[in-house]
Amino acid sequence: MKVTVKHWHAVAQWRWDTGSDADNTHPTNNEEEEGDVCGICRVPFEGCCPSCRMPGDDCPLIWGECTHIFHMHCLLKWIGTAASKQQCPMDRRPWVTAERRV
Amino acid sequence: MATEAVRSQVTAKWQYAFSRLNRDQPGITGLLTFSQAWMLATEMLRPKDLTSPESMTEYNMDNFRAAVAMLNRCHRLPALLETFLDNLRKAFHLIEREVQEHMTEYERTSETAIINRLLQRILQWYKAWAPPQDLGPTCLSAYTLNFQTNLFSILPSTFPTAFQSLCVSTLPSADPLVSIDHVTSSEPFWSAAEALGLMDRYDSIIASVGYEHIEAHVLSTCTGQWERSMLSDLRSWMADKVIPWMLVTYARNAQTPEEVRHLLQGVGSRFEFHMNKTLCDLRTREIFDIIIDFPDSMGALHDLKECLQRVDQRAALVQSLRRANRKRLLHPGADTKLILSQYVATIKCLRIVDPPGVLLFKVADPIRRYLRGRPDTIRCIVSNLVGDDENGDSLVDENEPIQPLQNVDVDDYSDPNWEPEPIDAGPEFRTNKPSDIITTLVSIYDSKDLFVKELQVLLAQRLLAVTDNDIEKIEKERRNIEILKIRFGEAALQVCEVMLKDMSDSKRMDTHVQVQKSSVVHPTVISRHFWPTLKTSHLKMPGQFQALQEEYAQEFNVFKPDKKLRWLPQLGTVHLELELEDRKVDVKVPPLEAAFIELFSQKPVWSMDELIEAVGSVDRSAALKALITWVDLEVLKEDAEDTFRLLEVSEESPDVPRERRAVVVSEDVPPVASAQQQQAERMKIYWKFIEGMLTNLGPLPLDRIQSMLRIVPGYDQTVEQLSMFLEAARREGLLLVRDGLWKLNR
Repeated sequence: MKVTVKHWHAVAQWRWDTGSDADNTHPTNNEEEEGDVCGICRVPFEGCCPSCRMPGDDCPLIWGECTHIFHMHCLLKWIGTAASKQQCPMDRRPWVTAERRV
Repeated sequence: MATEAVRSQVTAKWQYAFSRLNRDQPGITGLLTFSQAWMLATEMLRPKDLTSPESMTEYNMDNFRAAVAMLNRCHRLPALLETFLDNLRKAFHLIEREVQEHMTEYERTSETAIINRLLQRILQWYKAWAPPQDLGPTCLSAYTLNFQTNLFSILPSTFPTAFQSLCVSTLPSADPLVSIDHVTSSEPFWSAAEALGLMDRYDSIIASVGYEHIEAHVLSTCTGQWERSMLSDLRSWMADKVIPWMLVTYARNAQTPEEVRHLLQGVGSRFEFHMNKTLCDLRTREIFDIIIDFPDSMGALHDLKECLQRVDQRAALVQSLRRANRKRLLHPGADTKLILSQYVATIKCLRIVDPPGVLLFKVADPIRRYLRGRPDTIRCIVSNLVGDDENGDSLVDENEPIQPLQNVDVDDYSDPNWEPEPIDAGPEFRTNKPSDIITTLVSIYDSKDLFVKELQVLLAQRLLAVTDNDIEKIEKERRNIEILKIRFGEAALQVCEVMLKDMSDSKRMDTHVQVQKSSVVHPTVISRHFWPTLKTSHLKMPGQFQALQEEYAQEFNVFKPDKKLRWLPQLGTVHLELELEDRKVDVKVPPLEAAFIELFSQKPVWSMDELIEAVGSVDRSAALKALITWVDLEVLKEDAEDTFRLLEVSEESPDVPRERRAVVVSEDVPPVASAQQQQAERMKIYWKFIEGMLTNLGPLPLDRIQSMLRIVPGYDQTVEQLSMFLEAARREGLLLVRDGLWKLNR
């Protein structure tokens, strides 16, 4: 018997590729796991920052060279304040946006 | 032994009496003339037997008058009257005989004419025995009173019934062809009845005849007639048929219209009231069916409204409707959808009958309480909201303007048009500002959050069921959501917005990926956290499916480098073509079915356990269902128990028609967990806390558990929800409860 797929309406979720679960070999293991949250607003990365309404491309993430990841809007707001001294809020190292390794 | 004093006293009296009767005439001539006059007067007044010839005797009225005048001079008129009345009593057996004769005849024939004849005959007696006018009105009224008293005492117990049927016979006939003359022809009867004092004595009988006539007419013409307002017809019927009867009955002797009006005022308004009451009672009895018939029963509703203003039957209406609802609506046999639509109809109907809404409030309360207890009420309302109803009418009136849900408003003290609550409003009553149906339905529950949750679940189900990215369907959903946004507020439906955006983004993304590298996979990519919890599964697609998934995921990664796809393989549909040795099978199946058949293409015989093993771990019943789908399609065959074989060549045995399995091949299990299941999911998070505190602190009461859980961040459950959860845990044998204390079952 030969099985030919003519059309497959599948369903998938998107995740930010944060590198933490880059090994796609055990997708079932962390299926239940709540994804990481933004260190500033404590909302999951796949959610959106408090000032946004649409998740995904409208509310992207920002990667720091210190490996910390935040919602871009959250971080920019933080950097915009005087108290931030342009530091990463997690480790107080000067914030340097990392080049995305695509 | 009489003393001297007594003797002289008697003498004096005797002398006085004698001189009064003798009137100073010489000798006893005065006494003689007096006794002649007495004889003449008593003889003339004596009641005579009408049936004997002596009644024909003519008397000289002049002699009589002279005699009476003489008696009057002697002050003997009272004695004369007494003697007359005594004679009357003695002679009454004559009338009694005739009454009995007539009644016997009536009982034999039941002919009301006999009673009429009897009345006329008694009237004859009455007239014949009446004292002449000369004796004055006192004498006449004393006679009348005595005559009536005697008459009433001899009337047999069957007479009132007979009299009633006679009254009934005077009523106008329902047949319009019979003219009104029939009514007027009964005038002699009424005159006789009045002369004999029967009108007063049998007043209630006559009135009841009128009442029953009206009642019978109302019941016969109005029962089940709801389309038209009957009240005006009834009024004109009253004017045409009942008023003439009343005229002849109660206002025969009236000369002027004013007099007629005066005479008929009391009885007329009583009759009209009775008509209203009868109609009101009838409609009260029918109210449940009237509501079912709405809006074809507008006439009846307007009648009811008008009647209720005259007749104070509001409490009875509420009682009746509540009873009918309890008996016919609020029972497990009734569909929730049905209850809802009847509730909506009730709202609409009672708003017509009673605009302030007191009746509605009283009637709606049990319905709302019952609906609250039903598990699928919210689902029903929501599916109606989004127009999911395949069969039939929407609860919501299309003409009703879409408006935001209204909050139960507190009294506005500055409102110049403020009116006090209606007098029969209960303490719980809230002035319903005319709010729309949806607001009313949503207000069955305390918060609209439940609706929003359910709405999300429903929307998720519908969106996931959309295959081929059918733009039209998505657009329809978007329109729905826009409308609902007006009702529930923008913020509440934000999640739904994201879901819709996911749909259109998926479409765009897919178009792009297809251009880069054509694939049969067309996924819907959803945003986690914004969709209701989807049923989890550990399904792993085998063979070419996994290859397809990976291939597509890679393409996606090229398009969106910072994102990854995580497949939810248990969702969606697959359109397959199976090329078997002798035939082709073209089907659309759920993914699990596709996974299984893919496995069969590798090896023709599988046992159930092997299959489940090969696709990860799936539910055994789900696996069986999937396999049965293929068995029904005659692609697989169950050889031994739990062992399935691929039929490369179909095994058709035309003489034994295959029995279709009862299992329906359809996606009857919703892919999205219902709000209730999600609730349970959320509660599971707190199970660890409950377990911990019961271990450390020993048995605890419900309140204590709740107050401790409040410390947990994000805990938002009510005591009721907690109690339900604990109850569920007890059923699973995890907890024990004794005297209100919960403890772990160890």
